[in-house]
Amino acid sequence: MTHCKSLTLGAVWATSSLLFSSLSQAAEIEFWTAQTQSDRLQNIELLASTFEALNDGVTVKVIGVDENEMATQMAAAVAAGTTPQLIEVNSEIIMALGEEGIVDTDTHQAVINDIGKQRFHAGALTTLTSPTGSYYGLPYHGWIQGIWYRKDWFDEKGLAAPNTWQNIKTAAKALTDKANNQYGILVGTKQDSYTEQVFTQLALSNNAAEFNAQGELIFNSPATLETIEFYKDLAQYNPPGPQNWRARDYYLQGKMGMFFYSTYIMDDLALAEVAKGSLSSENFAELTGGTFDPELVKNTAFAPIITHKSAASYGTLSGLVALKTADSEDQKATQDFIEFLYDPASYITFLHMAPGGMNPMLKGIAEDPVYLNDPNGVFKLYGADKMKQIVSGFDDIRSFSVVAGKTFPASGEIFAKSVIPRMIYDVTIQGKDPQAALDAAEAEMKAIMNE
Amino acid sequence: MSSVLIKNEASLGLKLVAPAVGIIGLLVVYPILFNLYLSFFDVQLNGNKTFVGLQNYQSLLSNPDYYHSVGVSVLYLIGTVIGTTVLGLAAAILMNQSFRFRNLARGLILLPYFAPVISVVFGWQFIFDPVNGIYNHMVVDVLHLTDTRENLIGNPDSALLVVILFDIWKHFPIAYLLFLAKLQSVPKDLYEAAAIDGQNAWGRFWHVTLPELRFVIATVVLLRVIWNLNRFEDVYLLAPNVETLPIFTYYQAFAGLVDQGTAATISVIQLLVLVALIWLYVRKVLKW
Repeated sequence: MTHCKSLTLGAVWATSSLLFSSLSQAAEIEFWTAQTQSDRLQNIELLASTFEALNDGVTVKVIGVDENEMATQMAAAVAAGTTPQLIEVNSEIIMALGEEGIVDTDTHQAVINDIGKQRFHAGALTTLTSPTGSYYGLPYHGWIQGIWYRKDWFDEKGLAAPNTWQNIKTAAKALTDKANNQYGILVGTKQDSYTEQVFTQLALSNNAAEFNAQGELIFNSPATLETIEFYKDLAQYNPPGPQNWRARDYYLQGKMGMFFYSTYIMDDLALAEVAKGSLSSENFAELTGGTFDPELVKNTAFAPIITHKSAASYGTLSGLVALKTADSEDQKATQDFIEFLYDPASYITFLHMAPGGMNPMLKGIAEDPVYLNDPNGVFKLYGADKMKQIVSGFDDIRSFSVVAGKTFPASGEIFAKSVIPRMIYDVTIQGKDPQAALDAAEAEMKAIMNE
Repeated sequence: MSSVLIKNEASLGLKLVAPAVGIIGLLVVYPILFNLYLSFFDVQLNGNKTFVGLQNYQSLLSNPDYYHSVGVSVLYLIGTVIGTTVLGLAAAILMNQSFRFRNLARGLILLPYFAPVISVVFGWQFIFDPVNGIYNHMVVDVLHLTDTRENLIGNPDSALLVVILFDIWKHFPIAYLLFLAKLQSVPKDLYEAAAIDGQNAWGRFWHVTLPELRFVIATVVLLRVIWNLNRFEDVYLLAPNVETLPIFTYYQAFAGLVDQGTAATISVIQLLVLVALIWLYVRKVLKW
């Protein structure tokens, strides 16, 4: 009897020790992504499951977090000690987080060493480099922004392509007919990142900047003021009240002539199914707004570069950021997962979630026949030439964060605090004097930099 | 009672109250004190704190936007508190009459209060959408009342009004519920006596109903002031450009990277103001 008892105890001990040993090997990767649409999340889940299947004892938990909420959510997570292992978000937020000292730059360096630094587009890596030369994040995908416009309406009215300030304004005026619910253009006037993106492209084309090469704040300048005034001028052709990226819906409904958008719009324009998905709000699943215009892709043209004092295209990078963790198993698993995400098979799966919207940051992927053969056939619909023109804006993407090859992380914090969108809102919606709004924004930027 | 017994009872009482005191201390007193402590620091994300003394208070109290949001909050409070109280009282008096389907009607009035904020907010936003919304479609295209489309929620001048209307619509049922409960217990003979004294309906309301409801009205007003001074979700979801104090706090402290020092400072001031208001109200109006 005693023999039997000790045997049972032994078995329990053996199983529990087995259990503990497997637990000690288990690693968990919590992955926050800014891709919150359900179909994209499903895709990322699929990649995560594949990785789990290839790596015993590793679990990957995918969580979608709205881009505008990412900085806040991160702050809350850090405070609560529940920081995720990996996030995917835009470069401005990456730079802001990098300055908070919570980013695992060692893992980034290790990934770059494994993949090979020369395989990354150099400009993309520079954008995520800290002032001391370490990497706050790893560039993963990026988009460029420009003006998408109704080529057929422009031709009808004899308007020139909206690639200069003058052309934009003339066309906006000509295409606006508010009495008939028709609008010439939409520039962002809500206090969110879309507004900042539209403003930045116009400001860059006017040689306005946040910082000079010495890192001094030079935002309050005649060039910036001129841009704000032009912006206010354009906003009068907007639909009433504060507006944001829902411009897309109005354009798809044929109620708008021009709008700023990234290359993410390409599949909405080309494919009825995708457009339907976009038009039916996530909050009203049953609501489908308007009918799809199959001619829209043909009648739409793209102006990626705006010229005033200089030519400016604007784009932003999204990167992968490993966060500091005390658990070396988690850290190792995170590094493996990042490298898995850069593997051509999984990388192309990821990029195909938004063909044209997500452009690769590793050389060679864009020429890969697998990449050019996306499941929806978007690249075929646009044709190789149009694709080439679209991606041409991408070689020279500019932002406020990088001046003469040097990065200024403070611009990330300024972005995270929505200083510029609030300034634009004050001017366009509240009717505040542009110079007064500019002074206030500059004061806020100074306060942020002194913190 | 012997002194031993009294002593024992007292110690038993203390033991019984102790858990409650402990919980309140942990969940209420400690956060308030910690908040007060944080308001004197510049807090970084990684947990580092730098003592800055009264600097957070100074920069807040010298910020014109702060006073603007105090003004917006006061307008919001006046509009919503008066609106919900008056509408709730009117509805309660109406629903205290006897008529067919009274029970059904009483239940239906409560619906806005039950509906989740997020869904009704999106409903309201859809109604007022400037390009595709029902409101503009009706006013401009169908009834031709005006030629220009308006964004009532987006336009800062009208947004406050929409937010106040929304709050009144959403929250008057709770006032109604409290008033109705009290109305049902007002003795009928008071009204009969007033009628014999020659009071008309208005006189009966003024001399019987209102004095009887006095404490309920005062309680409703008190609750509404506390709730609405701190109300965030309704306003932020519907019209984030209406900067009441909680919204102002959010933009200052939580939009982008969290600035815990400033956030703590704002909430300390808000708490002090609220405590002072309630103290005054309880002493002067409720006369407790």
